[in-house]
Amino acid sequence: MPSTVIRDRRAWLVAPALALLLAAFVYPVFWLLLRSASDPVWGFHNYATALSEAIYLKVLWNTVAISGATTIFCLLFGYPMAYTMVHAGPAARRILIYIVLIPFWTSILVRTFAWLVLLQPKGLINDILLGIGLIARPLELIYNRTGVLIGMVQILLPFMVFPLFSVLSRIDGSYMKAAANLGAPPLPAFFRVYLPLSLPGVFTGCMLVFIISLGYFITPALLGGRRDIMVAQLIQEQIDQFGDWGLSAALAMILLAGTALIFTLAHKVFGVKPAIRA
Amino acid sequence: MTHATSNQAARDAAHPQPSAGRRRFLKAAAAAGASAALPLLSGRALAASHLSGRHMVHTTWGGVYRDAQVAAYCDPFSAATGAEVIQGGPMNAAKLSAMLKSGKPIWDVVDVVDVSLAVDSRKGYFEKIDTAVVNMSEIEAEYVHDYGVANIVWSYNIGYNTDAFPTGRHPRSWADVFDVAKFPGKRTLRDRVFPSLEHALLADGVKMQDLYPLDVDRAFAKLDTIKDDLILWKSNSESQQLFGDGVVGCGLILNGRAFDSHKKGAPVAIEWNQNIRSVDYYVIPKGAPNADVAMQFMTHVTRAENQARMANRLAYAPTNLDAFAMIDEEVKPWLSTHPDNAARGILISIDYWRDNLEALTKRWTEWKLS
Repeated sequence: MPSTVIRDRRAWLVAPALALLLAAFVYPVFWLLLRSASDPVWGFHNYATALSEAIYLKVLWNTVAISGATTIFCLLFGYPMAYTMVHAGPAARRILIYIVLIPFWTSILVRTFAWLVLLQPKGLINDILLGIGLIARPLELIYNRTGVLIGMVQILLPFMVFPLFSVLSRIDGSYMKAAANLGAPPLPAFFRVYLPLSLPGVFTGCMLVFIISLGYFITPALLGGRRDIMVAQLIQEQIDQFGDWGLSAALAMILLAGTALIFTLAHKVFGVKPAIRA
Repeated sequence: MTHATSNQAARDAAHPQPSAGRRRFLKAAAAAGASAALPLLSGRALAASHLSGRHMVHTTWGGVYRDAQVAAYCDPFSAATGAEVIQGGPMNAAKLSAMLKSGKPIWDVVDVVDVSLAVDSRKGYFEKIDTAVVNMSEIEAEYVHDYGVANIVWSYNIGYNTDAFPTGRHPRSWADVFDVAKFPGKRTLRDRVFPSLEHALLADGVKMQDLYPLDVDRAFAKLDTIKDDLILWKSNSESQQLFGDGVVGCGLILNGRAFDSHKKGAPVAIEWNQNIRSVDYYVIPKGAPNADVAMQFMTHVTRAENQARMANRLAYAPTNLDAFAMIDEEVKPWLSTHPDNAARGILISIDYWRDNLEALTKRWTEWKLS
């Protein structure tokens, strides 16, 4: 097998990407792995600390819970959005694509600060709701989990919409027509025909959103409350304030291993192949 | 305030044979120390650009703070000595710590906060300040450190939004800030363990002079009482936004940030009662390539006229109190080392935090998660 790969001259086209991957991913990960087991002394004490002390376990759980909730909300909003984009006319589709793209091109920091202005007790959203008499007291939309999720879902929505859009637009419309011809009402037809065909997009979108969420830092820090601490914040604090590379590296490795595990499990359980695959 | 004579003797004893150049420089420094009003001109004439062709890398926190330091310290230093000051950075604690660990720093002068100075100087990361070169007697005694030159003093103050609590009916003590019934609404503290524990203990009735060593359990128990009404800020600009937009009615703000909000017309005011002073130090990382130039730079940091420039630009208080003679009247009430304000507060104990920061930071995170 390897010889056929090497004999194929086109294989060399992957060389730059491979070099980049080695330099920018494999090497740093290897270095982190080394640090996690050697700083300040050799052993697994950093892992023992990270996986036994309540504070690290709580933060790891927070990270998974926030990422999971973000993924679910992105799917709930992203699926209808992608579906509408696929079935809209060309002009409407272009507008919808730009509606997703333009925020995507804006810096995360800018968008997070914008939410800060919109969501606060005397912010635009509360002002409008109070003004039209829908609420009597300002809603607590920020400095809590709600704020974190609003910010993260809005920022990560494109990562759900685009993979879904790409998969949904390849689903042959005649399947749904066939289902209707055979007497299936629209909803059962959707759940038994359309949805299963779209699962590769759902899988890819969910994985992208979930994995990117795991490393989130600035949005939970600015929009969250006292308890909304994610692993990235803890890593930053450990390195910035105490130069504790060992524990930080261990936390990063646990995050990486956890991600790989979740990815593999999802793959096995749902038996779906991602839209993008090797 | 200046102890020029005794200090001169100590310097001569420590360094019996200064070089001709150094002796000449000492004279200039002593002259400048004797009269704060003495213009830069004499320093320039005497020092006679003896550092021309030399340079040093100055690294500090970003933004307006750096601009002010460049105008207050770097430019006068270059003008007097001919040395070129290159701006490095911006200062980043993780970067500095990596540099210090490697033992090959590329920064010659770095601005660090007092607690970092206490932690890192014990590890032997900084050059000792050469008192034969730097006239430390100009600096107020409580800010003098063997391994750093105190550049500015700022303070943690009780802040309040004047729309929520007009001055006169505002929270006057940390006990008031922690009194949710008397002062309803959200309040804010910094998302760091120091000096949140100090604030909690002051609120619980501990006297300022009895704070250290901190009664940690008592502090966390007091913090529990405002848990549901508390927003924690992570950056100073966030604190300004929280107070300015009225998200919080009262809590913690740094005096300089309150001054900035006030200047911009935001309804933010501060109370000086129970303020906690903190200091930024200039340090020279051990093994800095231009440590000798950096040491001479330090003499310019101690000078009253340079510190007055800093205060007039950013309302950061001088450590050389002679500077007050050259500080604008409207800025003076905002300064932490102004005698009226200093008398109503205390200096944070950097020795306490040096020994307890890591363990208590972990406890702080635990408390936040609970």
